Amino acid sequence: MERRVLNLVLVGVGGQGIVSLANVIANAALENGTNVLVAETHGLSQRGGSVIVHVRLGEAEAPLIPEGEGDIMIALDPLEAARYAHYLRLGAWIFMERKVTPPPLPGIKVPAMEEVKNALERAGFKVNVIPAISEASRLGNPLGANVYMLGAAMSSGIFDGFLTVESVERAIRRVLKKPEKNIMLLHAALKAVSSR
Amino acid sequence: MAWKEVLAEPGSKVIMLGNVAIARGALEYGVSYASAYPGTPSTEITEALSYAARMLGAPYVEWSSNEKVALEGAIGAALTGIPAMASMKHVGVNVAADPLFSVGYMGVPGALVVVSADDPGMWSSQNEQDNRWYGVHAYIPVVEPAGAQEAKEAIIEAFKLSEKWEHPVIFRSTTRIGHTRVPVEVGEINMEGIRRRGKFKKNIDRYTLVPAHARKLREELVDKWEKISEHLSEHPLNWVEGDGDVLVVGVGLGYRYAKEAVKRLGLEGEVKILKISTPVPLPKKLLLKHAERASKILFVEEGDPVVETLSKSLFYDEGLHVRVYGKERGPIKRTGELNLANVTEALARVVGLDYARPPAAKVEISLPPRPPVLCAGCPYRAVFYALRRAAGKARVRPVYNGDIGCYSLGVNPPFQMQDTIVEMGGSIGLANGISHVVDGDQVPIAIIGDSTFFHAGLPGLANAVYNRSPMLIVVLDNRTTAMTGHQPHPGVGVTASGQPGVELDIAQAARGLGVDYVKVIDAFNIKEGEKEFYEALRYVKEKRRPALVVARGACILLAIANARRQGVKYTVYRVNLDKCTACGLCYRAFNCPAIYAGDDGKARIDPILCTGCGECAQICPFDAFEPVDEVSEEWLKIMRTAKPI
Ligand SMILES: Cc1ncc(C[n+]2csc(CCOP(=O)(O)OP(=O)(O)O)c2C)c(N)n1
Ligand code: SF4
Repeated sequence: MERRVLNLVLVGVGGQGIVSLANVIANAALENGTNVLVAETHGLSQRGGSVIVHVRLGEAEAPLIPEGEGDIMIALDPLEAARYAHYLRLGAWIFMERKVTPPPLPGIKVPAMEEVKNALERAGFKVNVIPAISEASRLGNPLGANVYMLGAAMSSGIFDGFLTVESVERAIRRVLKKPEKNIMLLHAALKAVSSR
Repeated sequence: MAWKEVLAEPGSKVIMLGNVAIARGALEYGVSYASAYPGTPSTEITEALSYAARMLGAPYVEWSSNEKVALEGAIGAALTGIPAMASMKHVGVNVAADPLFSVGYMGVPGALVVVSADDPGMWSSQNEQDNRWYGVHAYIPVVEPAGAQEAKEAIIEAFKLSEKWEHPVIFRSTTRIGHTRVPVEVGEINMEGIRRRGKFKKNIDRYTLVPAHARKLREELVDKWEKISEHLSEHPLNWVEGDGDVLVVGVGLGYRYAKEAVKRLGLEGEVKILKISTPVPLPKKLLLKHAERASKILFVEEGDPVVETLSKSLFYDEGLHVRVYGKERGPIKRTGELNLANVTEALARVVGLDYARPPAAKVEISLPPRPPVLCAGCPYRAVFYALRRAAGKARVRPVYNGDIGCYSLGVNPPFQMQDTIVEMGGSIGLANGISHVVDGDQVPIAIIGDSTFFHAGLPGLANAVYNRSPMLIVVLDNRTTAMTGHQPHPGVGVTASGQPGVELDIAQAARGLGVDYVKVIDAFNIKEGEKEFYEALRYVKEKRRPALVVARGACILLAIANARRQGVKYTVYRVNLDKCTACGLCYRAFNCPAIYAGDDGKARIDPILCTGCGECAQICPFDAFEPVDEVSEEWLKIMRTAKPI
């Protein structure tokens, strides 16, 4: 059956650009004529707290994704991937950043990326680890890890019928600073991930 | 600029935050006066309106000193015959409740819309109150959009309703309306409307609520209320979809959940959905018409079961026996936000279908929490650190009466220096009570932000002086209302529309109120802070009177924004590993997010997070922190004087 709604869970740490990535996706959907709802977290979460944004593409009415029904996750931090994985359906893909950003709290134990990856796989998810932060830095745009991650996730094909690469490019031009650098990152990710 | 969508080309379709759509709707209607006090999830409405005011020269937009003042201003403006609005978060309406409860009696010749942004789920609030009850209680109609998708249209309808009945209207938004981004088609901005000037015409019988007038107006009000209810039964924001003996009443955003649940269960066309966006007063005729034909009714609404409760009373009066499902007796969860799975389950149960939630995965890993923390370079970290040391030295057992602002984050380790947090202004308020009933070594320390000081701190302070309450009041003057996104306030002298205002001086205000002991200190200077807090605490203990210390230092995010604009660079700091002894003081007791422990236990600084505040260099006993480049004098000045841009 043709999928009529695509539920995308975006997670990370306040300041990593999750909300602006959601804005790119929303604008890309508009460019593509796809209906979209983006439910954001504001306020307290800006102070380095954990962030989740619900993006619903297609024939969705309600703003929030129910637990167990997310189709795909983009996680700019492994700990946040694990924190919110219960929003995903079993078997869903998680595109997960490689680098763990430890919470700045005294005396805590922070699991390593591999531990998180194993736990997520044991729970029934497919995990694709992407070095988006280091790749974005290497390619000259350290703040572009969010867009790099979108490129990586798009290479999975799950966005087909909802977003096109061209619509994302147009959205980037519309809403991001340094659009050319970001578009370059998008393509770099598409290429790197699909050729693996 | 983040708010430019509010001025999007007429006829275009753009992605907008619900709150920006509300602002755009108000401009399209032609609102001429908009006041507000910031509060999540309402703030972006007024941010977008002030952007519009800067670009278009109208309407008049202000950040008021608190919600009561905002509402009173809007009432005044509406009395001159122009459309006015006052926006606030749900708890802000409590502050504004006094005028709110009476404005319905007098009505307004212009139009008056009070925007209440409720926060089910308490994403950034201390409670989950449903402000539609205010409408019931104060005889003020409530308009509630069915999601961000309808926000722009619904605010226009709210203004029209107010204009038609010359009566105030509450526009009830929620977090998932104001903070959801959707495609919105925009119309023309009513330029003539936003520039309109008012004229006050005397109407003493109506505008002076002395008992003799109020009694008469109260009779009229009750009468008008029934008429408005009739009118709402025909309102274009309410409609019916599908048919069947099961009736689902979707109220506001609840309609979206109801509609999607119906789709998910393949029941399209087989159950009847009654969409209601005017919950108060209950559109009785409309409800009865459909309830009479139903065998079962499911109410889906965000927040309390308001429409459900009112409807049940209506059904009782009309002798209607019908099974009602909703939040009062389930199966929809009463607390938190609506949840699509829960609504689907509820509907399945009502219609007698099987529905099982998809299995949720269990990820077996123990995760550290990630609460929001004070930013690297926040002046409050230095103040908390100094204050704690001073309290220890002065041998007092402090009761930290906290308040609402970024400093609330001091509740978390390592500081845990917020023993109470109730509501804005509650710090001085609670300390007043505590100060009179505890003994000498227990000293209340009220910690209050600058915006909060002007919002609700002044009356508490007057009380402390008047009644000689022995307490220390620490005013954190970070030059902005930081937590809600850096709005200006009376202490910074910039208005919402970017015009120069008058800068009120906190220390002078305190002296004016009669506080004898007032000091202003540099928030970033830990040594000075420790000494001054110590002396102030000694004063409180000995003189048994209030002392007030203003700790002044700009929110570091604001300082950075100001520095960027002025082209001033700051240097980051680094750790001299030869000096660092791995004692851990900086990453444990001070806990700056830019500082972390290396594998050797010695400190490291993340240069991306470091903001060059220099606080760490003051606390390290071994002088291990050093600036990478020369420290710029201009930067040091900006850190102490920056203002909202
Ligand atoms: C009655 C009320 N209005 C608004 C708010 C929203 N609010 C929460 S924190 C805050 C900021 C207070 O500013 P300030 O005291 O200057 O502290 P800062 O955030 O700058 O540290 C506001 C307005 C609220 N919680 N209660
Ligand atoms: S936003 Fe400003 S006041 Fe709030 S924690 Fe950060 S630096 Fe401190």
